[in-house]
Amino acid sequence: MKRNEFIAVTLMILVTIGTIAAVFSYESYRRRSAEYFFVELIARSPNNGNWYPKELKVPYGKKIKLHIRNIETVSHGFALPDFDTEPSSSEIKAGEVVEVTFVADKRGSFPFMCTAWCSEEHMQMNGKLLVE
Amino acid sequence: MSKDKLFGLVDLDWRFELTKFRPVRALFKSRWFPLLPILFNLFIFVIILLAGFLGGYSAGNYNFGIMIVWILWWVMLMFVLVPVLSRAWCLMCPFPIFGEWAQRGALFGVNMGKLGGLNLKWPKALKNMWIMNVFFLVTTFFSGFFTVRPLATFILLGLIILIAFIMGLIFEKRSFCLYVCPVSGFQGLYSQFATTEIRSKDPQVCKEHKLKTCYLGNEKGYGCPWLLAPFSFRKNTYCGMCLECFKSCPYDNMAFNLRPPGADLLVDDKRGLDEAWKSFIMLGIAMVFFLSMQGPWGVLKDMVRASTLRGYLTFITFHTVLCLLVIPGIFFVFSYLSKVFSGNKEVSLKKLFINFSYTLIPIGLGAWIAFSFGIVLPNGSYILHILSDPFSWGWNLFGTKNVPWTPVFTHSLGYLQGITLLVFYLFSLAYGFRLSKQTFPGLQEAKRGWIPIFTFLTLTTLLFLWLYIG
Repeated sequence: MKRNEFIAVTLMILVTIGTIAAVFSYESYRRRSAEYFFVELIARSPNNGNWYPKELKVPYGKKIKLHIRNIETVSHGFALPDFDTEPSSSEIKAGEVVEVTFVADKRGSFPFMCTAWCSEEHMQMNGKLLVE
Repeated sequence: MSKDKLFGLVDLDWRFELTKFRPVRALFKSRWFPLLPILFNLFIFVIILLAGFLGGYSAGNYNFGIMIVWILWWVMLMFVLVPVLSRAWCLMCPFPIFGEWAQRGALFGVNMGKLGGLNLKWPKALKNMWIMNVFFLVTTFFSGFFTVRPLATFILLGLIILIAFIMGLIFEKRSFCLYVCPVSGFQGLYSQFATTEIRSKDPQVCKEHKLKTCYLGNEKGYGCPWLLAPFSFRKNTYCGMCLECFKSCPYDNMAFNLRPPGADLLVDDKRGLDEAWKSFIMLGIAMVFFLSMQGPWGVLKDMVRASTLRGYLTFITFHTVLCLLVIPGIFFVFSYLSKVFSGNKEVSLKKLFINFSYTLIPIGLGAWIAFSFGIVLPNGSYILHILSDPFSWGWNLFGTKNVPWTPVFTHSLGYLQGITLLVFYLFSLAYGFRLSKQTFPGLQEAKRGWIPIFTFLTLTTLLFLWLYIG
């Protein structure tokens, strides 16, 4: 009985603390071992706060993976015309997360913008990418 | 065997014992069951809570928490768990595990000593469904948030788990599950329709067994955590299927049976206004949820999502008045008409009102199943996506991350909903007339008294048909 109790408690710890630890460890390992520089970007209509952050900083010469999360219930889009992004432009549906990759092979400041008519203020939904 | 056959096909006393198969009985007697399913669900709910917390205020259609809880779990509950397996969710629910662990001081074994915690008795005046009724109704006030915002789902589930734990420390055994849990009430009500039951096999064996181990416990199992007397179970409503009675019975006299759907509706045991109101509330919520989630009225969606404070308060007021006053009020009028039509002056209006409220269980369950079709068919494909990428971090665990949103069989949605409503309407009629015969002493009185209730059930079904497919 004591052995079974020990197994039960161990399973309990594994499914709770173990799960949380495993999730964060795996994500941390994935980001460390990847060849990409990860950047998080949140898509919001201008009247709800606009892109966050509005200004992205990435290191020159690195492969960049943009992780764009649309937190709203309307579709957004993403385009970074000065770079050869993969995919070249994206529709980001409500609640969706898309990944955009490119090589930061130019220094300077470059605009990025929403490509879907998301609200009356759609034209103001743009931000800046700084490659340093 | 009785001669009363449901739809002329199945004897209402027909039972088929599933635990007569040795592997099933061995499973039910093992202390690993239901502990392992509980631990598995705890694992799933840890991911749900994590996804809810990390998902924050994003739209929830690509969130593991929202999709698993409000699409998969809810639909499983309405399609299979409750109508077929009674309160099987309670069997594997992880919410009370921390409180129960604290009480017992053991996860697996049986602690024969005094249970830990304060072990206070739940107040007698609250030993009913009223708190669950209010808690569930209040929870639905926030439906516009927790079905779309992951953080709201996190807060709701976190609160339930926290309350379950705190109550486990204060009150005896499963007082939380019995009297507070918002999910427990409607499962209890609708489990009366379930096609399975836990009952004692031979009442004589229980009668001769003076030491009621199913109630008091022994070294094999705890005394009923749901504070019931398993040897005298007559209906499913309050049995959480924890299976302790299978373990503690030295005569293997507990059975898990298949039975005709709805058999409990005719059991006149602990019927009361609390259960009656539960059925009104569930019917009202089914209507309001359909209107706000699946109906074409955008203005209602804005109200439920609290686009404006005024709109939101209007929604809460309308929703509360509909569930607590309008539906019960209309039903009261029809119950009164039933009494008038019957010509009987002996049967009290209260008894009539309560007894006939059980006719709403099949059509209520049918309305919820029909509503659930409207959730799972358009949105079920999201589940494939979120299984591979539960935290929206770009994972692709099972290679299904890029499965696009694909509604399935939505062209047949109206037919499925309509057929479901009609099938459950027939069950309501079948049991309704039997309830009428049970309520009125004479057959002619029962026939006359049945007419207004038949009319109410028909009008309610027509209303739902109009809402869903009209």
